[in-house]
Amino acid sequence: MTTLELRGVSKVYGEGPTAVHALRGIDLSVQAGALVAVMGPSGSGKSTLLTIAGSLEDPTDGEVLVGGTTLSNMSRNAKARLRRRSIGYVFQDYNLLAGLTAAENVALPLELDGIGARKARAAGMAALEELGLADRASRFPDELSGGERQRVAIARAVVGERRLLLADEPSGALDSANGDAVMRLMRTACQRGVAGVVVTHDAQLASWADRVVFLRDGRVADQTAPPPGPESLLAPSTGQGQ
Amino acid sequence: MSTSLRERPATASAGNGGVPARRAVIRWAWRLFRREWRQQLLVLALLAVAVAVTILGTAIAINTPPPLNPGFGTANHLLSIPGTDPHLAADIAAIKQRFGTIDVIENQSIATGTVNGAELQAQDPSGPYGRPMLSLVAGRYPTGRSEVALSSSAASTFNLRIGDLWHQDGRAWRIVGLVENPQSLLDAFALVAPGQVSAPTQVTILFDATHASVASFHFPSGANIEIPSSSPPNPNPAIVVLAIATLGLIFIGLVAVAGFTVMAQRRLRALGMLGALGATDRNIRLVLVANGAVVGIFATLIGAAVGFLAWIGYVPHLETSAGHRIDALKLPWWAIGTAMVLAIVTAIVAARRPAHAVARIPVVAALSGRPAAPKAVHRRALPGLILVAVGACILAFAGGWAGSPLMLLVGLVATTVGGLLLAPVCIAGLAVVGQHAPIAVRLALRDLVRYRARSGAALAAISFAILLTMLICIIATARYANALDLTGINLPSNQLVFYPPGNNPDSGPRPGGPGADAQKTPAEIQARENAVAASLGTHDVLALDAADATLSQAGTRANNFSGAVYVATPALLRHFGIKPSQIDPGTDFLTSRVGLAAEPRMQILYGNDLFDRGPGGPSPSVVDNPKIQTFSNLDAGTSDPNTVITMHALRTLKLQSSLGGWLIQTARPLTALQINDARQMAVGVGATIETKSSQPSLAQLRDWSTAAGLLLALGVLAMTVGLIRSETGSELRTLTATGAGSTTRRTITGATAGALALLGALLGTAIAYIVTIAWYRSSLGSTVGHVPVQALVAIIVGLPLIGTIGGWLFAGREPPVIARQPLE
Amino acid sequence: MSVRHALLALLSEGPKYGLQLREEFEARTGEVWPLNVGQVYTTLQRLERDGLVESDDAAEDGPQKGFRITAGGEQELASWLRTPPDLSSPPRDELVIKVLVALRLPGVDVHDIVQAHRRYLVELMQQWTRIKQDAADHDLGLPLAVDAELFRLDSVIRWLDAADGYLNRAATWPPAAAPAASSLPKLRRRAGVRR
Repeated sequence: MTTLELRGVSKVYGEGPTAVHALRGIDLSVQAGALVAVMGPSGSGKSTLLTIAGSLEDPTDGEVLVGGTTLSNMSRNAKARLRRRSIGYVFQDYNLLAGLTAAENVALPLELDGIGARKARAAGMAALEELGLADRASRFPDELSGGERQRVAIARAVVGERRLLLADEPSGALDSANGDAVMRLMRTACQRGVAGVVVTHDAQLASWADRVVFLRDGRVADQTAPPPGPESLLAPSTGQGQ
Repeated sequence: MSTSLRERPATASAGNGGVPARRAVIRWAWRLFRREWRQQLLVLALLAVAVAVTILGTAIAINTPPPLNPGFGTANHLLSIPGTDPHLAADIAAIKQRFGTIDVIENQSIATGTVNGAELQAQDPSGPYGRPMLSLVAGRYPTGRSEVALSSSAASTFNLRIGDLWHQDGRAWRIVGLVENPQSLLDAFALVAPGQVSAPTQVTILFDATHASVASFHFPSGANIEIPSSSPPNPNPAIVVLAIATLGLIFIGLVAVAGFTVMAQRRLRALGMLGALGATDRNIRLVLVANGAVVGIFATLIGAAVGFLAWIGYVPHLETSAGHRIDALKLPWWAIGTAMVLAIVTAIVAARRPAHAVARIPVVAALSGRPAAPKAVHRRALPGLILVAVGACILAFAGGWAGSPLMLLVGLVATTVGGLLLAPVCIAGLAVVGQHAPIAVRLALRDLVRYRARSGAALAAISFAILLTMLICIIATARYANALDLTGINLPSNQLVFYPPGNNPDSGPRPGGPGADAQKTPAEIQARENAVAASLGTHDVLALDAADATLSQAGTRANNFSGAVYVATPALLRHFGIKPSQIDPGTDFLTSRVGLAAEPRMQILYGNDLFDRGPGGPSPSVVDNPKIQTFSNLDAGTSDPNTVITMHALRTLKLQSSLGGWLIQTARPLTALQINDARQMAVGVGATIETKSSQPSLAQLRDWSTAAGLLLALGVLAMTVGLIRSETGSELRTLTATGAGSTTRRTITGATAGALALLGALLGTAIAYIVTIAWYRSSLGSTVGHVPVQALVAIIVGLPLIGTIGGWLFAGREPPVIARQPLE
Repeated sequence: MSVRHALLALLSEGPKYGLQLREEFEARTGEVWPLNVGQVYTTLQRLERDGLVESDDAAEDGPQKGFRITAGGEQELASWLRTPPDLSSPPRDELVIKVLVALRLPGVDVHDIVQAHRRYLVELMQQWTRIKQDAADHDLGLPLAVDAELFRLDSVIRWLDAADGYLNRAATWPPAAAPAASSLPKLRRRAGVRR
């Protein structure tokens, strides 16, 4: 099942001679359960791709489908509803609302969608527990470490029945151990049927993905072949030992 | 995760989150308020003060005037019969028979030997109607034949206490209690049991009756029947206070808009995050509106508590000065409720504008903390200009003071609002000014231009403060500079004017005190005047002669000549050091009033009964274009002989002069004790004295308003500059990292404050002049011609200067924002 | 990679048989560097020849033959641990040479070549990451060895990114001002000054 599909998506900022073409005819589809990384240098349009896929911005041209529904005819409120129910975001360095505890932050999308506070809190706690963050539930964001904050953000991005997980440099300011932990969580989420898109310029992060799409000047320049599996690396000389 | 929540309420599937979403959003707003209420302290404080002052103001305004119908008690008719009625007892009996329950109060005047009289009053303390007019302070009510209870002023007049024996008119009374009339605390009376007044001067009968039954009854001759007046004072003072409070709240609302805009800017990324999570525009607006509501509710509750406590504490003082008991809970609750609701509404309305602005910002821009691009200037300028023009036109054709107050209000509000709408335009103009300035100044100005929403509101608030100040200033100055209708202090503090009976220029012929029934001879009065001068230890006495003549300006009604005209007797000229040779031949008047000699269309009005003539009487005789000569030697006080008619004019017009009073001057300012002694002595012969009035003069009012307006504007300035600069903390950090020191920081803050102050001063003054010119367009010369130079300089030069220096001085310390970047 | 010193390190824990040595070596390096039996015995023979290990003389050559470290061997191991590897002279990297050659060849899109290598490297990293992902939590050696490989590959990708950036900037330079032929010697001269 295709969770996210971009068809010929273009985005132009500004007009006339100062216009900036951020995206030029992007085609991309992400299946449920797949984690796709989008790599590219700064200014290649990868962040724009993410905001358009997440209905935060409208494409100048082309079509975006989330769960088979096109976004182009949706009202602002319908898009907000889509974000509440189907799309989860993880940003680079700013994810949690100060003034709300970790559990409340995770429960917030559910509450915004009209689910009672108690029920939403229980669902939030469950999501935190699954990600091994139950003991952080009643902490405020400024009492959490950077890695913990990102992990709570992932819990919030997948709480409920989210089908699409969008992450923009999710381990940007973290060390590699914390970055690995964040990516491991994303993989876990994808194994449960969520479609994930990670935008990054870091090859180590991208290597966690099933497929890596290379963006260049707003176009898809290349993408990796499906991985042959880890055996190939160890095959030549370990035949007997394994 | 995906398995943790399968069910979803059906009601929410189509909606936008409904109640749970709003509750979640409000909960977050409330948490943010708890974390960041200090940053909204000024808005909180302003609103709280407004509510407190409104409560105190309406309470005082409602409770200060004396009761509407004193003397009626609970009755609806009051009959007074003179004590001279020969069939008094029979008449009372007849009335009792006709109307049933009645309450009889008998009064008898008794001599006290002072200017204040006293009365013997027979009244039943538990009478059916008169109970509200009597209450016991100490001891008990009199019951027997020779018992009496005194009011406190009577007790002090006679120097008596409970238990003392009081001899009055050949009878001995035992003082058994202290009483008061709660409706009139200053009443001096001695309460005795009913029937104990032997020769009442007047009998008051209170009773309830229908209009028809009263009309059909034949009352004894000389009786006077009254019914309570039902019309409350108009306009209701509570409404006046409420109207002023509303104006104040508009001003506070402007400050609040700036404060809330900054708050919205501070939370921009969080609000963008909320949008990314799927909050609707309505929910995002709700965060800020809820914050405004919380601020408003808190401020209102605090203000109400402070206001009530202050009122409770003030009631005893007010009772003393108002002269009647006050029920502390008798308050205009509707006005207080309205003010409280208005304060909350002000906060909510002020929060709505930034809320709408933030909800319009695209989520992506909000997430990166970029504010929306300011709107094009020309689109903003037009409504402001139109409003100013329309407002000025309405004011110009409103017809002056005689015209419709509604037009005045509408014009004033339109001009003011229009002017304030121009504030963002003025801010935009700063960009042009700043282009060639040094980097720090350029940075400060550019920030003001970039964040026009909040700096515009800040400028509007400062302008409004200046506008109020300037309006008072201009009007006060114009008033002060009117040579015809002189205003200012009446007398210096070391002068006293002693008016013989019937010659007080303020109250006209005045009923004399108890001792003045018999006319005093001029010799007796002069002797008393000598005694006053002697008691003050001075020989500097000038006799003032009055003549039946005055000055006037033809064709004007508003600018009538004010003050007494005395005769320039040789003694007077000598007193002020004017040599007869200095007076030009043919001069009719000498004056110390600046500009009076130059006034056009002047006339002398004269005639033997000039001041006693009724409205329908014959016109006074007139001489056009009298010759007026200015002498600064003459005293300038409004009650001083500041304008005198020459002996030449007196002879020409064949006018008589009569004694007008004595001007007594002492070496040192008069003490309250001296003034009181002099008053006592004057009262003895029915004369009056005048000394320096304690009321503030217009000039003082102008100076105070300038100072208060400056302080207000400075307060707003400090707050807004603080807000604006605190927002750019991260930029300052970057600046510091690039090597900018405290001087740069100081310059930026100083330039911000200075620019806002200068613009505010200019804009406020400009609107004030537009309003005044439009309003007084018929008498421009005398109003706007007199520029309050001092106040103008203080505002246009002083305010920016103080602002810049203050910003420079206070910006030296690193703001905590730099030291510790708060987590968002 | 020095198999010689790795075997010395294993023997420093106590006497071991040849087969045991091979298994422990692979286990400790997370099976990232596979080793065949022949390689182990050749290395052990050389170590014995140099007097760094001793063997049980009684036993036959074969998997059951035991070895133990000598005093000389322990000394050698200690000094080797503290000797930094030779990083000062740059390795003759095939990838660098290929990109430099491609720069000079007409009609070749260097971006494509860079991207082809990048894709291959990322695919390689994906495979390594998959190994790390599947590794058990208590295992320490494997993630460390995989990370070493990942960081190495990452550094190559970064170099490719940088090369891409240089190429982009070169493309936007005015062509007259900076022909490719004259820019290279200049770069070399500058590099020489720095050294």
